[in-house]
Formats: sequence, C-alpha cells, structure tokens
Amino acid sequence: MSPGWLFLLVLLIAAAGYVLGRSRALSATGGSLRTMHSLPGAYGWNVAMAVLIPSLLILAVWTLVAPAVLGRLVTPMMAGQEGNLSLLMSDVRRVADGLLLLGEDPASITTEGLRDRLAEAGVALGQDVSNATLAAAARYDVLGAWSHWLLTILVLSVALGAAALAVRRTTPTLRARNEVERGIRGLLIAAALVAIATTVGIVLALIFNTIKFFQIYPASEFFFGTTWTPSFGGGSELGILPLVWGTLYISTIALFVAVPLGLLSAVYLSEYASSRVRAWAKPMLEVLAGIPSIVYGLFALLTVGPALMLVFGDGGLGWMQGGTAVITAGLVMGIMLIPFVSSLSDDIINAVPQAMRDGSLGLGATRSETIRQVVLPAALPGIMGAVLLAASRAIGETMIVVLGAGAAARLSLNPFEAMTTITAKIVSQLTGDQDFSSPEALVAFALAMSLFVVTLCLNIVALWIVRRYREQYE
Amino acid sequence: MNDMRLFERAATVDEVKIRAKDVNVHYGIAHALKDVSVDIGDRLVTAFIGPSGCGKSTFLRCLNRMNDTIAAARVTGAIELDGQDIYDRRVDPVQLRAKVGMVFQKPNPFPKSIYENVAYGPRIHGLARTRAELDEIVEKALRRAALWNEAKDRLQSPGTGLSGGQQQRLCIARAIATEPEVLLMDEPASALDPIATAQIEELIDELRQTYSVVIVTHSMQQAARVSQRTAFFHLGHLVEYGETGDIFTNPRDPRTESYISGRIG
Repeated sequence: MSPGWLFLLVLLIAAAGYVLGRSRALSATGGSLRTMHSLPGAYGWNVAMAVLIPSLLILAVWTLVAPAVLGRLVTPMMAGQEGNLSLLMSDVRRVADGLLLLGEDPASITTEGLRDRLAEAGVALGQDVSNATLAAAARYDVLGAWSHWLLTILVLSVALGAAALAVRRTTPTLRARNEVERGIRGLLIAAALVAIATTVGIVLALIFNTIKFFQIYPASEFFFGTTWTPSFGGGSELGILPLVWGTLYISTIALFVAVPLGLLSAVYLSEYASSRVRAWAKPMLEVLAGIPSIVYGLFALLTVGPALMLVFGDGGLGWMQGGTAVITAGLVMGIMLIPFVSSLSDDIINAVPQAMRDGSLGLGATRSETIRQVVLPAALPGIMGAVLLAASRAIGETMIVVLGAGAAARLSLNPFEAMTTITAKIVSQLTGDQDFSSPEALVAFALAMSLFVVTLCLNIVALWIVRRYREQYE
Repeated sequence: MNDMRLFERAATVDEVKIRAKDVNVHYGIAHALKDVSVDIGDRLVTAFIGPSGCGKSTFLRCLNRMNDTIAAARVTGAIELDGQDIYDRRVDPVQLRAKVGMVFQKPNPFPKSIYENVAYGPRIHGLARTRAELDEIVEKALRRAALWNEAKDRLQSPGTGLSGGQQQRLCIARAIATEPEVLLMDEPASALDPIATAQIEELIDELRQTYSVVIVTHSMQQAARVSQRTAFFHLGHLVEYGETGDIFTNPRDPRTESYISGRIG
C-alpha cells in the first residue's frame, strides 16, 4: 500500500476513534455532561490524537529513511562495476522506478532493448542498462515491496492498537480536555520547529560549503583581493572587495532615494492627508511594494537606463558609456524601497500618541514644528529600524542589479560606470552546468555566507534599536 | 467638601476675559454643544462640571481652537478673547494657542529632557534671545509649577522618567513657560493620586494670581475647592453658571441639584 493511501487510512481510523471515544464517554454517563470532566468532543479528540501521533510519526520517518536504507542494501551488488558509484546508484534507482512503470516481472526481463522501452515509459537513461544494473534494480524493487508491506502492517497495527487502548482508557473522569490542550501545544511546537530547523539547515549548508571553498582557495585572497576574474579553466582571482564595493555603492544610492521620499510621503500620509486621500494613496503606494523585482529590473534596463543615457550619455554630458550603471540600478532600487520605508514609517508615526501632538499644538506650535520637534524625534528609533531593514533588502536585491547595473566587477567611484554586486555574482557563478568541486562554483557559497552575515547583523541592529527605544513615550 | 471656604472666596475682580455667545459644536451629525453662552472672568478659576459626554471638554477645546485639529468638528457662534473674535478669519489659531495654553487630562511630556520640555514653547515663539534668558524662563516656570526643587538636579533627564504627578506639573510648567493669558485644564488631576491632586490644586489657586484658569473636572469636590465660578453642563446645554458657592449650596436648576447631590451623572 502506498504511503498516500496509508495516510488516508490512518485518518479514517482516527475519525472512527473520535466517534468511538465520544460515544463511549457519553454512554458511560448516560448523556449527562455535568458528571463528565470534559466536553464529549474532547474525549473524541483524545482518541484521534492517540491514533494520529504515533502512526504518522512512523509513516514520516519510514518514508524519509527507507530509500537510503534500500540503497545501502543494494550497493554491494554494484561494487565491482566501473564508474562513479553514486552515479551508478542513481541509474539503479531510475531503472527500478522504470521497471515498476513497465509492470513486468523483474525475473523474466532482459537488458535487450530495455533502454528504449524505458524511454517510452518516460524514464530517460544516459547509457544502456547493464546486467548488473538490471539485477540491482530488480533487487531494489523486491526490497521496496517488502518495505511497503512492513510499513503498512506496522502503521495499521499501531493505529488500531492505539485506538483500542485510548478508547478503553476513556472514562468520564479522564482529563481529556487537558490531554487535547497538550496535543495542541505539541502541534504548535512542531510547526515552529520546522521553521527553525529549515533555517538551521540552510545555515549549515552554507557553512559547510564555505569551509570546503576555503580549503581550496585561500581566505585572505577572498576577503582582501581586489580583482574578480573567475574563469572555469582555472587561475581565477576571486576577491570579494569589488563586489562588496558595488553592493554598498548601489545600496547607498538606493537609500538616498528611498529614505527622503519614503519618509516625507509617510509624514504627508499620516499627518496631513485627509482620510479620503489616505484611503487611496496608501494602497497605491503599497502596490509598488507588490511589484516583483524583475519588473523593476526591466524598468531599469528599458526605461531608466536609456533615459539617463539621454542626459549623461554621449549625446548629452558624455559621462556615461552605457545604460547599465550603478546610478541606474541605485535609482530603480530606491523606487522599489520607497513603499517599504514609507509604510513602516507611517505605522511608526501613527503609533506616536495623539496626546504628544495635542500637547505641542496646545502650546501654539504649528503642524510642521510639531512634526519636526515632537513626532519625528519620538518616532526616530522606529524609523531608524525601518531604514536598516530597507538597507538589508537593498543589499540582498538581485534582479535589478543583474539587469540594471551591468556585470563588471569594478572598484570605482564613478556612479555612471557599470558595476556588480555580491548577489548578482552568486547568480552568474551558479548559472549553467557547474562542477561543484571547483572554487569558481563554491565561491558562491562563500559570497552567500558573507551576505547572510551582513544582513543578519543589520537586522539584529535594527531590531535592537527598535526595541531599545520603543518604550520612550509609553 | 469644606463648606466654610466656599463663602470666603467670592470673586473680587470682575473683568471678562472670554465671552462666548451661542456656541454650537457638531461632530459630523452629532450635536455636541447647544447654544452655550458664558462669560469667563479674568484672574478667576472657572470650573466646568457635568456628567461624561455633557460637552464640557468640547467647550474647553473651543476656547483655544483645538477642535480645529479634528476634521469632523464644526463650531458656530462667537467666542471673544479680550473683545476679539477668536474664530475671525484674521486670527491665527497657532498664535491664539500661545495665548490660551492648555493642560491635558493625561500628563503628556514630550520624549525629551525636563529642560527641553519646558523650553519647547519659548523656543518656538522666540521668547528668549540668549541661553541665559531661556534658563531663566525655564527656572521661573518650574518654580511656579512647584517642580523646581524636585527637578533642578535632573534637568537633563527625560521628562517621561518623572512620576505621574510630577509629569503633570511639568506639563503645567511647559504651558506657563509660554506666558499665556488663559490656562485651560482638561481634568488635570484625574489620572493622579490624592497627594499629587492636592499639589495640583494648590498650584491652580496660585496661578489665579496671574492667569484666568478654566478647569474641567469630574470631581465636584475639586470644583468646590479650587474655583470661584462654576458652570454645570448637561447633555450639551449649559444648565447653570454662577458663583461656585451659590451653585453648590443653592442651585436654581433641579438638574444641577440632582447632579451635585449625586442623583444623575
């Protein structure tokens, strides 16, 4: 029985357990709710939980672990073969899947024409099937079938056994409500753990690959090298400094655009705009935040770049060689960040108590004096936090840079020159077929790790500032 | 209630500082204040009393045009300060509020130092030319608000770090630092404990030397203790207005009598 059906069956048993548990609790008291510890539904849920938790756990763990164990069991059969063992094993797995699709008895099948027949069934292979591969695949299928049967028997017996036990335990004095409460807490913890575990997994993957990179490429050259000339033929220079410079330069321009515009529009929206204007202006501004960054990238490439060329290019001032430049990407990224800054600042400004404004207005201050001297200082920590969050987004932005800033890694002060950032280079190092043992590909992990550390620090500082100064006016 | 004091403190000075005639206030479709006419004397403490929602705070906010900051509020009628209509188009509400200061129900010091809180008004109105002058204004205001002794060693620490009663006195100091002519107080002691309340009341009595003080209060004892004139509001109407002693001992209107004896409210 496949895991999908098994899952449905377990749900069915749990549902039956719910009905049984509920009715057993009710019948034991003759339907009088007052003499029961919990509501009838709680007894039902208690039984359902007793079924679901162990059987689903077994199901999940088995499904995750079984392929690895099966592979281990079959591997010795391929030991004598030529070639990379892990590639061979992946062939075995594909043939095994294909045999199941063909639905023939593995014992009677021959290698002759097998590759074409598998291709017809939708399993493409890189080479003809050897005898050893076929034998291993057949063995794999047999073991797989065994594993399915074992799993089915185990899960069903656990589910039924747990249901029987839990129903027998159901008496009116059972604290079913508290059990259910514990179950809910467990569910919430599990959900949180999934998120945390994923993050930890990502970080670990980054760390291990970064270590691998530094084993084949010296860290000092990576961190202090001023040239970035990767070449897959070997002899690359992989210095991060030009990329860091490009990232900081573009982000700074973006913030110079986004912070004043975003902040001023936030002040207008929260302090001056009538509720009618606010009702349509704020959503309009937030639509900007919903535009995918690739669209901004197109905008940079096709509109802003050529427009800047008209003014600063050869026809105009002659400062700019091509449409893709730091200034192009910076401007467009700034526009992308405006709603981010304005919507966060707007919330923060609105959180400043009305009593502050009344106090200032009551002393004869004008609106703008009130905003400059009372509202903004009170909101400043929050606004700083918003700016730092915007900065960490700017640093992590990719598509606008790929399309708007060009691809040249360069250390230069001229904003009209093409430059590139860490993120854009991660993309270009991993595009296409890569050999993941070369420093040119692995450097992507080191770049990603550096980026991650920088944005993490920025976020921590931002949150710290927001938290540190939040209670000032409460 | 100390009844003996009521009779001793009959008003002696009788110049009209604010004259309101037929004032109506609408909040959207709600008619919050109906045909209120009242004369508020100079150098007197005038108390507005009445049950919640009776319009007394609304009327107080009309006197320095704070209702202008509420988009839905609409004020009609005439309010004159020293004979000048404050709702006249030539009057700048910002200038008006410098002359008619306000202290709010909840202490609302700015998130700045004690010194900066008091110096805020003088700064925006350019009342001091030098730092020394500003220091002097701040000290004077803090002394008048009876906060100087407690605050003089911590002028640079944040105003929000003071206790509730001190914060309210800081707000009063902040209001008088701009040298207003009228001081409006919207339930200034309702968020404070009895000791802080007593200090504020004492302060109000002092301020009467220089200012015309209008105070909204929920506490009839407070009105009786600090005011010379009392106005009783009910459901948007000004029911009765007169000498505080008369209102509390000899009310003419049955509604006033019911309220001060605790039957409505």
